[in-house]
Amino acid sequence: MTSSQIPTSDPREGRVRWRRAAAMFASAVVACAVLMAMTAQGILAANFSISGFPFVVTADRLDGQGFEQFASIDNMAPGSPLASNVQGNFPNQGDTGGQVLVFVSAIGSAQLTNLCQSIAVVPGQLYLKLTAGADGTKVSATNLVVDSDALAGNATFNNIEIGRDASTLDRVPSATRSDQAGSFGQQAESVHIDNLRQDNWATTAAQFTLPGLNLRFAPTPCSVGS
Amino acid sequence: MSRFRHWRRSRPFWGGLLVTLGGAEILVTERVPLRVFLHVGPQGIAGYLLPIVMVLCGLLLWFNPSQRIFYAILAVLLSLGTWVTSNLGGFIIGLLLGLVGGSLAFGWTPIGDAQEGADAGSRRPGWLSRIRPGAR
Repeated sequence: MTSSQIPTSDPREGRVRWRRAAAMFASAVVACAVLMAMTAQGILAANFSISGFPFVVTADRLDGQGFEQFASIDNMAPGSPLASNVQGNFPNQGDTGGQVLVFVSAIGSAQLTNLCQSIAVVPGQLYLKLTAGADGTKVSATNLVVDSDALAGNATFNNIEIGRDASTLDRVPSATRSDQAGSFGQQAESVHIDNLRQDNWATTAAQFTLPGLNLRFAPTPCSVGS
Repeated sequence: MSRFRHWRRSRPFWGGLLVTLGGAEILVTERVPLRVFLHVGPQGIAGYLLPIVMVLCGLLLWFNPSQRIFYAILAVLLSLGTWVTSNLGGFIIGLLLGLVGGSLAFGWTPIGDAQEGADAGSRRPGWLSRIRPGAR
């Protein structure tokens, strides 16, 4: 006799039916491959929101519309093993109380050539490296807001305003924070940077299209000109 | 120890575990201080909502296994969604954990359900038996 009802109060033991599981997994893998292909074509944008550990961004060229920059203080978990800068040294937490002085750079929309992002999995030995936009089609990024402690490149700004109160900046509305009132800020209508390198601590809600996406483990981090 | 073993075998344990770990891994790559989180717009909220619901699905697969089909399908869809919303699915790791865990949970069935039984007339034959007679 078989029962047509399974009482939920009587848990019977069971096992995984591999054919069913494999059928579901195969469908999921196909859907995943489609998503990855669309991203690699630059059709589908990916959202990034990273915080708590340092990562490096380099690009051969960046053309941005809407640029803001101001100083800020990020807090890191005291004694966190990931709270080291990209050289693998621990910042002096004793005096700062686990705070990192960063400047926030916000670009409303940007086109980048040969973008590289890397995160230190084992500082000095193993990095997770993401590259895109190397084959002619540019990476486009929207609302690219990064907290950096180092920024280098050859930059050209159009219609720059330097020395405005950080809470009054309006070129990138999603980045302006009202709690920055009283701190130094600058903004520009557009910016062009060659050989960009950023050492970042956080990025929030940046959306990237990533044509030619390549995600892999590598022994070296991103560097300008690589 | 056998009580835990019985508990473990009476639900999609490994599926639930992998889905929970996948959602947690994605959240770890996203840790954002509250100060910044408040300024993130609706697209940023989705980046956190999907992995949080993934963790919930994983826990519900453990504690409400009778609804496992829904949770398993939801976990797979959420994992696929995190490719777009959350750091490429936690740099693929969380996404893969969610897909594998959701598939395992989808495939889990209690032992009594699997057998056609000697009384074949009282049960609807499984879909597979139409292709291969006598299969379960």
